[in-house]
Amino acid sequence: MSVTANETAQIPPTLNEAAVRDLVEMIHLLASAKDAMSDAMVIRLARTVSEGVALLDRLTRNEGLMRLLQALDRQENQYHLISLSEALNQVSRELATVPPAKGGIAGILRLACEPGTQEGIRSLSLLGKYWGESLRELHRRGGT
Amino acid sequence: MRILIVGGGTGGTILGNQLARRLAREIRAGEVRLTLLSASDRHMYQPGLLYVAFGQMTPDELYRDEASLLEPTIDFQVDPVTEFHLDRNQVTTQSGKTHDYDILVIATGSRIVPQEVAGLSEGAEMFYTEEDAIRMHRRLLEFRGGTVAMVVSIPHKCPVAPVEAAFLLHDFFKARGIRDKVKLRYHYPVNQVHATPNVARWAKPEFDKAGIEYETLFNLKEVDPANKIIYSEEGTDVKYDLLIAIPPHSGAETVDENNLGQGGWIPTDRFKLTMNGHDNVYVIGDATDIPVSKTGSAAHFEAEVVVENIASMIKTGTPVREYDGRVYCFIEAGYDRATYNAFDYVNLPELKPPSKAIHWFKVAYNQMYWTTVRGLL
Repeated sequence: MSVTANETAQIPPTLNEAAVRDLVEMIHLLASAKDAMSDAMVIRLARTVSEGVALLDRLTRNEGLMRLLQALDRQENQYHLISLSEALNQVSRELATVPPAKGGIAGILRLACEPGTQEGIRSLSLLGKYWGESLRELHRRGGT
Repeated sequence: MRILIVGGGTGGTILGNQLARRLAREIRAGEVRLTLLSASDRHMYQPGLLYVAFGQMTPDELYRDEASLLEPTIDFQVDPVTEFHLDRNQVTTQSGKTHDYDILVIATGSRIVPQEVAGLSEGAEMFYTEEDAIRMHRRLLEFRGGTVAMVVSIPHKCPVAPVEAAFLLHDFFKARGIRDKVKLRYHYPVNQVHATPNVARWAKPEFDKAGIEYETLFNLKEVDPANKIIYSEEGTDVKYDLLIAIPPHSGAETVDENNLGQGGWIPTDRFKLTMNGHDNVYVIGDATDIPVSKTGSAAHFEAEVVVENIASMIKTGTPVREYDGRVYCFIEAGYDRATYNAFDYVNLPELKPPSKAIHWFKVAYNQMYWTTVRGLL
């Protein structure tokens, strides 16, 4: 359906007073933002965005990091990290309170007899075993 | 497939990065090898030199290590090419190495040749090298009043640079409070204030408003630095107190020495961007002889076409795109206003009224350049 010039002139304006007021407010907002900005601010903002985009690109194309993030999506892995962090905290606190080791065979024997030491050695040995397997698998798949 | 890129400027770097992304799988599988040979380990944002000349940027802001901008799968070597043996798909470098290629991309850019005009190097300030831009800024700061003459020689890169420099000179002296003591005279070699008619139509009334005098059809013949006079081929002469020059440009020295094209400009198919007579040799950026501006934006758009065609040739055996002559250039109309110039082979530029928003777009782009050159934009 075509509309003549006369008919166009008779179409009521779609902007009511409130809408015009909103529009004016938006213009004032943009004008105030423009007055508040400076070249230096635009430069800093653009530099940050530019570096951010480059960094994001590097991160998203980093296959190792993406696999790490996938691993971290699993709740049990998050708990592992949390428990590791808590263990490190405790180690740090305990080391600060106990006196320095005196050395000697007797000290080593005493330490080896403690259940905690035995648990620790078992955990480290298991970690070594599975870590070794994982590294072998990584190399088999072409990772370096 | 061995792809060799000669030149690590805007065109070569964008092309290398985009190609490395586009052919990531083939490069990983060892089917494609991508090598970039450059004369320098540093990459300069050349349009920034204009800002250095007016004290709005410092030179350190213009540089990045080229290796930091390149995809790690590109074999980057700082070893400029000295000989092109196009008949046997080989180049020889300064170190004496020989590189064989299946596809060659020449992106060697252009250089200033002020020595082609007698007295120009001695008598004029310029902003096409870091040293020149710093010296020009010092001279502008020392200037107390008199006639500042601007002369433009052709061909030159960044066609709107003379107009931008004229407006920046006006605002520079205005900001220093001595604009009334400075007579700005602009000299241009064709019979309008800019070679592009629409730019000329826009700039002329802006010059009038800023009180910039202009003399067109002034082809610089000679500079007499001792008496501070410039002479034109047309027989006119002008006395000056400070001379700002856009020097003539030529293609890269190595292109000249290897007789790849007259004046160092390589004969190039304007659509395919292949070197005439050599289908496996592409030419992009300032090095071509095609009728578009010698600007980073042209090099960027050309690189995109060549990347798509090389990738498509490798993947499907046929090229897919043609260059349409697209160029986009910002034009600074002073310290806080800018407009832009966008055109292609068919469409002429239509300049918008200068605004602060476009100026901010330009200063933002000065930072975003590093994202562009990495092949991300």
